[in-house]
Amino acid sequence: MESLPKPLLKIMPQLMLQQVMCSALEIIINKALSLNINSNEQLNNLEQKTLAVKLAELGFPLCFSISDCKVLVTKLIDRADCTITTSIKTLRELKKEQHLTELIKQDKLDVEGDIKIAQYFASLAETMDIDWQTELAKHIGDVATHKLVQFSKLVKGKIDFASEQIQADASEYLVHEKQLVVTKSQINHFNQAVTAVNMQTEQVENRINQLFDNLRIKT
Amino acid sequence: MSSQEQNHQENNRNAENTTHFGYKTVDKDDKVSMVASVFHSVAAQYDVMNDLMSFGIHRLWKRFTIDASGVRPGNTVLDLAGGTGDLTAKFSQLVGREGKVILADINSSMLNVGRDKLRDRGLVQNIEYVQANAQYLPFEDNTFDIVTIAFGLRNVTDKDMALRSIYRVLKPGGRLLVLEFSKPEHELVNKAYDFYSFNILPKIGELVAKDGDSYQYLAESIRMHPDQETLKSMMNDAGFEQTSFKNLTGGVVALHKGYKF
Repeated sequence: MESLPKPLLKIMPQLMLQQVMCSALEIIINKALSLNINSNEQLNNLEQKTLAVKLAELGFPLCFSISDCKVLVTKLIDRADCTITTSIKTLRELKKEQHLTELIKQDKLDVEGDIKIAQYFASLAETMDIDWQTELAKHIGDVATHKLVQFSKLVKGKIDFASEQIQADASEYLVHEKQLVVTKSQINHFNQAVTAVNMQTEQVENRINQLFDNLRIKT
Repeated sequence: MSSQEQNHQENNRNAENTTHFGYKTVDKDDKVSMVASVFHSVAAQYDVMNDLMSFGIHRLWKRFTIDASGVRPGNTVLDLAGGTGDLTAKFSQLVGREGKVILADINSSMLNVGRDKLRDRGLVQNIEYVQANAQYLPFEDNTFDIVTIAFGLRNVTDKDMALRSIYRVLKPGGRLLVLEFSKPEHELVNKAYDFYSFNILPKIGELVAKDGDSYQYLAESIRMHPDQETLKSMMNDAGFEQTSFKNLTGGVVALHKGYKF
């Protein structure tokens, strides 16, 4: 797993990037919790509990402690009730609580301590739902929000279309014009040919074995 | 006794009774009231000034201190010279309802600002407020798991006495964290820092807190404060063990840590 570059790791303590990251995460998480339209009652089960997350890419632990329904992000690993060792990619999959056991089995995730704590946190992340349109309307008004949402849908549609077109054009260029990439049917054809050669080899092998047997009987 | 010896003894007596107030040499008895008047003057604008002067980096220095403290739920913490309670707020959340944090400051104005701020944030359950001089801490021996003093030690008249007093109130296994301005590691940083401290800082103080003199004192008191190694040896002399320090922002600030065993 790739970790942060060495020069960055060296200057991180001087720039206090770890503290900057903890601080930013703390603000974002607490803001998200305050905007969550679902209940944050899971937080009651986590009062004064700490989940430590060791991400392979980071090189330092992130500890999430709950106090009075607020999240504190520190590096205080000693107080962790549960420690998860994983990577950022796996963490995205962790949003679904039922994936936890599966990921542990696949060795993508290591959990030490009280696994219930990790499950509560996963459940909290799963139930997180923010009504962005309502929040935006509070600041810029209903009409402006409606127009902005329509506009963003239009832009998203165009980006998706452009992305599909680029992919299709690139594929066309690589497969047919430059012939750098083969098509799926060509791969299938190649696979079939390999299977046929395999069968023929087996037949030849059987025939040779038969001839050897015949030779042995005669001698 | 010769007149030379008499002069020498008199000089020693004067040295024992005097201390620094910025670059001035003043009577030890006077320093307390002079420092008090500085903080009475800046208390109301203290947080705004901290953000302006340090460009907000003081929050990261304090966060670093929390990370280094190893605080656990149920701990008893003394935030000495705690001022407006930045460290107390975090410790209060981290020790939980089973724990306790005491915000102590010699200055009543600072303590009042801190109390109002923390109460406004709903932090009331596990915080106590005590007006106390770091040299004569009004607590029983072996009371605290952690003692912190952030940007306060340089204002204390007798630092050795304060360190011994802190050592006394710490539990065996407890630790002291001193967050304080220190000596920058590189000469270039030192020069830039000097220019900023003596030319820009007092002007910001004049503009925002209407008190340039207090911020002139701040700059001078930082230069008169012991450097990293000296403070470390002072902590050793007071009885602390496994003492260490970590320079932050190129040594502009250092976090010293020591244990009582």
